[in-house]
Amino acid sequence: MLIAGTVPVTDMPLIFGRVEKEGKNLRVDGHYLPCTQGTMAMVSAALATTCHLGLEPPRVLLAGDIGTGKGSRLIYQYLIEHIEELAPRVLALHYCLPIVTLMQKLYTAIEKCRPRPVLIADAGSMYAAKAAGVAPHFDIFTPDPSEIAFLADPEAVHPAYISRHLFEDAFARVPELIKRAYANGGAAKCLLVKGAVDYIVKDGVIVDEIKEPDVPQMECIGGTGDTITGMVTAFTYAELELEQAASISAKANRAAGQRANPTPATSVAEIIDQLPGVFRENLCSWSGICTR
Amino acid sequence: MVLSWLKKSLEARAGTADARGLVIFTTVEEAMKAEKVLKKADFDCKLVAPPPDMRKGCDLALEIDLVEQTAVARALTGKVSFMGIYPFKGEMEPLQVEKVTRFAEHIMIKSGNMKLVFDIKTGGIVNISGGGCPDIPYLYTRLVGTHLAAAPRPKDEGRTLCALMLDRALEKALEIWKGVALN
Repeated sequence: MLIAGTVPVTDMPLIFGRVEKEGKNLRVDGHYLPCTQGTMAMVSAALATTCHLGLEPPRVLLAGDIGTGKGSRLIYQYLIEHIEELAPRVLALHYCLPIVTLMQKLYTAIEKCRPRPVLIADAGSMYAAKAAGVAPHFDIFTPDPSEIAFLADPEAVHPAYISRHLFEDAFARVPELIKRAYANGGAAKCLLVKGAVDYIVKDGVIVDEIKEPDVPQMECIGGTGDTITGMVTAFTYAELELEQAASISAKANRAAGQRANPTPATSVAEIIDQLPGVFRENLCSWSGICTR
Repeated sequence: MVLSWLKKSLEARAGTADARGLVIFTTVEEAMKAEKVLKKADFDCKLVAPPPDMRKGCDLALEIDLVEQTAVARALTGKVSFMGIYPFKGEMEPLQVEKVTRFAEHIMIKSGNMKLVFDIKTGGIVNISGGGCPDIPYLYTRLVGTHLAAAPRPKDEGRTLCALMLDRALEKALEIWKGVALN
């Protein structure tokens, strides 16, 4: 499993290695990084999952980027040049500046891999995959309602440019937007649309809807979408079917939210801290994966 | 009217550069000056012919990565005069719809793919959620914990369209906060 994304640290070089937890921080290649919104929330959730399952920790490829695109370019370029030798079974792409030409080159490089990795994208990497016209070749995207409106809009180059009519009632029209996203080539093979209802979609068909427990405060908390994508990545690496990985991740995220008893001011780290307990209590019944 | 004219012109170019945008100028000199300014600041840009309908004295436009619209506008402001920045296809203006959700002690403002949450009593920013561009986790570290009125503006510190959406959420939050504070 390889997770690639940027972190909000000015001038942090490209780093690569297995992630370890040290106190409240994560350590990668000698660098200590806090569990905040974005790539590190995703990595933290993936690590919590692999720890519970007794799997090796995720390999991560990170670079500092505060929006200039410098770190994003380093990540794209490194993957383009090294993806065959890295040979990940699951590749998750996360917060990167959506640079269409580099995403196209990366996809070309990935196509040469044998076996081809399972491809997961969220955030800027999902925007880039859609804009580059390679969305249907990805295995799973994890959009929220505004992002499914973006995937459904064939003209939009970024969620900031969604048609107003698609955005205004996106939450109420998610099933319709899912259909449009598939019809317009903006969707991956599977989707996990995160929201008040989490929709699990396979090849355009909604196969599961998760509504409980309902914890509305979760929408306020930066990183609670990233944690879902991190768990999907780890469960896929554990060889669960994509749609099962997605369903379990959505359930676990909600359960972790409920256990944390959050307010809109809660941090994502407090939600992630609940994941081991959630897995201990529920994973066996949800998935048949029963660990000691 | 002007926007629909621009849209028609730009759509003719769509398909060649789906995530690119054009900076439109009134003179060639301004376009050339803008290219120097942006290249010096490490932006990926190139001088291109504007769509035929727009060649009314300006024979050059600047093609940019649209996601960097916020940073490009900031880099040019005060240095070069430009008419606007437009995508090659789709909507001509970024979405401007803010949705407000009230919790017991907090208010969440949603603008496009971005959400900003503040404490009703203190005006402190307590969370930022959504977005996918790399400046958003950075802006999270800059804004969360600060007061709405003292927070750095995402359009000043961020670079991307996500930052622009976050700025709109902050603007709406300030408007609500001032109303709350006055009552």
